Amino acid sequence: MSGGNGNEVSTGRVRSIGTPAVRTEGLWKVYEHDGIRVEAVRDVTLTIEQGEFVVLAGPSGSGKTTLLNMVGGLTRPSEGGIWIDGIDVTSLSERDLARLRLERLGFVFQAYNLLPVLTALENAEFTLLLRDVPAEERRKRVEKLFERIGMGGLEDRRPGKLSGGQQQRVAVARAVVGEPALVLADEPTANLDTATSTALIDLMAELNRDLGTTFVFATHDTRLMDRARRVVRLVDGGIVDDDRRD
Amino acid sequence: MSARGRIRLRLALRNLRRHKRRSLLSGSAMVLAMALLVFSRTIAEGGHEEWIDSGVRMGDGHVSVQAPEFRTRRTLDYRLSPEARAAVRDALGSEILTERLVATAPRLMIQGLASSSAAALPALIVGIDPEAERVFSALDEKLEEGRWLEPDDRLRAYVGARLASRLKLKEGSRFVLTAQDAAGDITGQMVRVAGTFRSGIPEMDEGYIQIPITTAQEWLGVPGAATSEALLLRNSRDVGPVRRDLEASLADWEGDASVLEWRESMPELDAAVRMDDWADYVFHIMLFVIAATAIVNTILMSVMYRTREFGVLRALGLERGEVGRVVFIEGMILTAISGLFGMALGAAIVWGFFRNGLDFSAIWDMEMEAAGVVIDPVIVPRFHWNQILQSLAFILVIGSLASVYPAWRATRIDVAEAMKFEE
Repeated sequence: MSGGNGNEVSTGRVRSIGTPAVRTEGLWKVYEHDGIRVEAVRDVTLTIEQGEFVVLAGPSGSGKTTLLNMVGGLTRPSEGGIWIDGIDVTSLSERDLARLRLERLGFVFQAYNLLPVLTALENAEFTLLLRDVPAEERRKRVEKLFERIGMGGLEDRRPGKLSGGQQQRVAVARAVVGEPALVLADEPTANLDTATSTALIDLMAELNRDLGTTFVFATHDTRLMDRARRVVRLVDGGIVDDDRRD
Repeated sequence: MSARGRIRLRLALRNLRRHKRRSLLSGSAMVLAMALLVFSRTIAEGGHEEWIDSGVRMGDGHVSVQAPEFRTRRTLDYRLSPEARAAVRDALGSEILTERLVATAPRLMIQGLASSSAAALPALIVGIDPEAERVFSALDEKLEEGRWLEPDDRLRAYVGARLASRLKLKEGSRFVLTAQDAAGDITGQMVRVAGTFRSGIPEMDEGYIQIPITTAQEWLGVPGAATSEALLLRNSRDVGPVRRDLEASLADWEGDASVLEWRESMPELDAAVRMDDWADYVFHIMLFVIAATAIVNTILMSVMYRTREFGVLRALGLERGEVGRVVFIEGMILTAISGLFGMALGAAIVWGFFRNGLDFSAIWDMEMEAAGVVIDPVIVPRFHWNQILQSLAFILVIGSLASVYPAWRATRIDVAEAMKFEE
């Protein structure tokens, strides 16, 4: 994999200086079933700079999750281009896409999606394990992060023994522990109560500020939209508004 | 092992433990299949060894040395000369053969006629060395009346019970044997009945007579000659090496002496063993299918159930093939553990309950005869570790094949679609 510009590699963090975190150009995603054509994403051109805290907002079916999946390399676009940190995602092989996800992206899902057979700590350090980070460093990073997100002492619990809010905090830890360039979060607060949601949003905003990690959310949670510095509204797969609040 | 390899192994092991009941149920199907396989193979092996042992003791041994044409033309023209017999005895003195040999027995076999005042009937007349034959043959155990031949006997005969009955002969009765001698003349020899036997094989009971080999040699004008030297081995699996060794030793006697295996000298028994083997193979295939179905079912169910989880693994950076490998490893672990348990269970059942034999006398209350062999209703199972390990290897192959499809299914999961999957 190679970026468009020179890449800076430091302490596991890979960032391309001066390059947008995400850029899409004329992006389309079209599904065809039994002759019926559904345009899930229509001609989306969007640039998200490094360190942004962006919400993709819109009603159900507006295409925000599909757009997020395409940016994350989980779904291939029908047409158009996507660049993550200057890397042309659409030209990558399956193997390189997996590597990109591992090294530069973090995911937070609505349903937490922790691996049920692993403990909270093992879940959080999973991407570091895949990247062959030495055990001592893994533990150090995860324990530090767990203290910060209020999960200290719960490292050995399996997901089934954690509350929804705790599980989502572990999911956030898993997403940011590798210090990725970009964290993609799909409805991360949808299954949480107000207090837990607020705490989680605070946590992610803090990580965004302190680590400089770019966060892109797909959500219709107004609390999250209120905290975002930019809200991109989608309707019927197309961008209808791009509200910057800096 | 690489870090990724360790993760795959950890995930596979924990997933098997995660659904203990499902893993146990599938595992027990395979344990049962493997145990049945061990049981079936040891019984089959024991049964076949029993057949072969019984057949070779009644017949020409595991291996026999004969004149090349004797097999097709059973006349005295095709006999082993005293010199050829001496060469065979020399060859049998080698260390390799001595270790594998239980007994050897010379035989002088001729088709002839047995005549008494009551009747004249065709018979196979076999000159034997009573001392050597006592170790070799099981015929002395089939005594019905009188006694078995003694080393000092000269004009005595051991006669099939039905033949004796039809000739109206009893212990001590005199009767005449008539056959063609080495010169081609018809010649007769009067003998007395030493005893009669009932082998359970109709052909033998109705037309088989044993006399001392020295009497036969003298009567037929072939001093020191024999039509075959029969070899009884410790194990029927040694037939191949013994044959090769003997053939090499007798290379100089190629035109006068040939080496035959029991499969050649008793083709009916060979066919019966092969047929039984095929029946066993069919049974084993059925067991393998059961085992394979259990594995496919368990692993495939697990794949369907964990669709979302596989999607997460892919999203986190695992490659398509790695997700497949996690599933494959699960199948292999399940197979290997179940296979080993099954092997131990099968061995324990055979050893614990049937080491002295599996008694079928309730099904057939007398000795059964097939392919010229008396089948004992008590079958003693035999362990051959290479066979048991072969079965384990088969199970592992079946397990790996059965895991391929679920593993392939796991690699085909669409990540974005998988995230919508409700567990």
